[in-house]
Amino acid sequence: MQIRAFFLFAAISTVVVAVFVWVALSTRRPHEPDAAAVNRLRGWFLGTLIAGLLVALVLTVGRLPYPRHTQPANLIIYAVGMQYSWGLSTRPIRTQDDWQNSTYANPIEVPSGSLVEFRVTSFDVNHGFGVFSPSGRLLGEVQAMPGYVNRLRLRFTTPGTYWVFCLELCGMGHHLMRGEFNVVPKVAQHSRPRPGFHAARG
Amino acid sequence: MGSAMADAGVQTSGDVRRLRRVTFVWMALAGLLFLAFALDGEFLRLYQSRLLFFTMRPELFYAVLTLHGVGMVGLWLDTALAAASYLLARYIRPPVWASWLALAGTLVALALLVVTTTEWLFGAGWYFLYPLPFESQGTWSAAATAAFFVAMAILCGVWLLWSLATIAAILKRYPLRVALGWRHLSGRAGSQGPDVPPLVLIALVALIPAVAGFVDAFAVFAFYVIQWRVKDFVANALLMKNLTFFFIQMTAYATMYLGVGIVYELLPAFAGRPWKMNRLIVLAWNAALVLVLFSYLNHLYMDYAQPQALQVTGQVVSYFSAVPAAVVSIFDGLLLVYGARMRWTVASALMFLGLMGWAIGGVGAVIDSTISVNSVLHNTLWVPAHFHTYYVMGVVLMLLGFASHLGVELSGIPDSRLARFLIVPLLLVGGYGFVLTLFWAGAHSIPRRYAVYPDELRWGIGYARTGVAFIAVLILGVLLFLLDTGRRYVAVIGDGLRL
Repeated sequence: MQIRAFFLFAAISTVVVAVFVWVALSTRRPHEPDAAAVNRLRGWFLGTLIAGLLVALVLTVGRLPYPRHTQPANLIIYAVGMQYSWGLSTRPIRTQDDWQNSTYANPIEVPSGSLVEFRVTSFDVNHGFGVFSPSGRLLGEVQAMPGYVNRLRLRFTTPGTYWVFCLELCGMGHHLMRGEFNVVPKVAQHSRPRPGFHAARG
Repeated sequence: MGSAMADAGVQTSGDVRRLRRVTFVWMALAGLLFLAFALDGEFLRLYQSRLLFFTMRPELFYAVLTLHGVGMVGLWLDTALAAASYLLARYIRPPVWASWLALAGTLVALALLVVTTTEWLFGAGWYFLYPLPFESQGTWSAAATAAFFVAMAILCGVWLLWSLATIAAILKRYPLRVALGWRHLSGRAGSQGPDVPPLVLIALVALIPAVAGFVDAFAVFAFYVIQWRVKDFVANALLMKNLTFFFIQMTAYATMYLGVGIVYELLPAFAGRPWKMNRLIVLAWNAALVLVLFSYLNHLYMDYAQPQALQVTGQVVSYFSAVPAAVVSIFDGLLLVYGARMRWTVASALMFLGLMGWAIGGVGAVIDSTISVNSVLHNTLWVPAHFHTYYVMGVVLMLLGFASHLGVELSGIPDSRLARFLIVPLLLVGGYGFVLTLFWAGAHSIPRRYAVYPDELRWGIGYARTGVAFIAVLILGVLLFLLDTGRRYVAVIGDGLRL
């Protein structure tokens, strides 16, 4: 999606540049623009812009990332950010000891095809919980805020190691903050997990 | 211009001299600070590129990042206020005392900020997101946090006073209904005295939300003080985030809109055509006044705790704020120049190109203000890409255009073709190369504000190196601009500052 966004930006910006260049070059042959033509052009521009924005609104408002709970998640992962690491666990992380243990535990294994609900919070400052694919593409994110639990839902279909990096400046170790989990083919799992009760290996 | 101001009965010749003097000082200071903050921006990208400085502690990176952010935002708001005040003097008596007070306050705050960041390593970022200033993990001291907030309070205080005093000066000449152009909506534009010029309307639209933003900033500071002093008090993180982003959004919009107002006022003289007030301009800017107050909501899309109605409101408002900007200001700016007997100088070229930068920055912003897209672009380099486009290629070009125009006006030394054909292309190539690299890096998921890119995102280093090269070109353009424009300012000083 990001690359499509970039090319959309590039395409529209190219049109903007072209218009500005055309207008600048028009000053080589001074003449007065036709008022009626200008009004028609402005009307066309206004209509096109509003139509474009409305279409974009209609197409995107239905794709909000906020959980709607119409479908139960296959797996719940509790995520707590604290300077400077992410604790990930399939059990609730309630204390600093829980967080500490979760940062040392083996990465959680997520069966391929699972809808995962990350329940994200922070024990200190604002962090940004950013989930990255094995190839380094940002898949989704949510703020980790002290005093709040935000829920991010993502479905994972491609096996590999997924990374969690911090996306909100949180101090001098901001760039060091990481977590990881593995998406494994369903057949590679050693036991069938019970959603919400899967214990991290360790 | 001076005689025009005096003849209009708005200013005495003494007023004109005082205003010229303070504006001269602001523009000179702006040039020097722009170079300094551009160089510290290059330091940041060099650090990330692992070409230079990367053996220094990352704490220094985050501290310089904080200084760069506050410095640039503060610098351009100050410069926009100064330039707008100078031009508003054609119609009102701007508060010169507030300008001098802001200058003094800015210098004191700047000194504090330099010490707080580079010496004491305060690195919470320019918008000091709660509660990070309190949670440094030993990187910076409580004294550093206090000093940072003292500096911010000084800045917000002088900006608040300057904004209020300017609004008061406007309302002294134009009643509010007239100043907001409402007579054009009722079809009685020709009645009841002089009409309001676009610059006055736009200044009000910029400064009213700005005042709200600065008052809001003091509310944020108050919460910090209460938490510091009252045991067991913990501010609500979501409330603080809303308050903080409202402040920063109003500050940014005030700067941008004042820059656009300056273009409305100055560009017509170069085009040989007027930019007259009309119903469309009134509609557009009154709409902007309302929309801008809610636009900050687009900073909180990834705070899922925020009510969903507010999130969708943020997207709707962000989308439709593009309409008045594009269909009126940018369209009319293009129409002003189209086919005109245009006097192309460094000043007029920069102001024209600043409008283009505003448009392009807006495209990036509208895309990012789409919630579903924001979920994969938020806090990547896309975010600094769009606001650097708005600033560096938008309002900064507009204000450099003003500074160039002022230099020519005060010194009488005309523009040179060499300057036009060297400085402008360097600024464009360097600036757009820099921001396009940021957009591309953001589209490739590189996070913003990272001192060191992890191995899993190692292509961020390559993008940083490309950015370093373009910033160098931009800085060269800035240097040549400062030399070219600076010689006019030096000539004014050499003339005994008989402004």
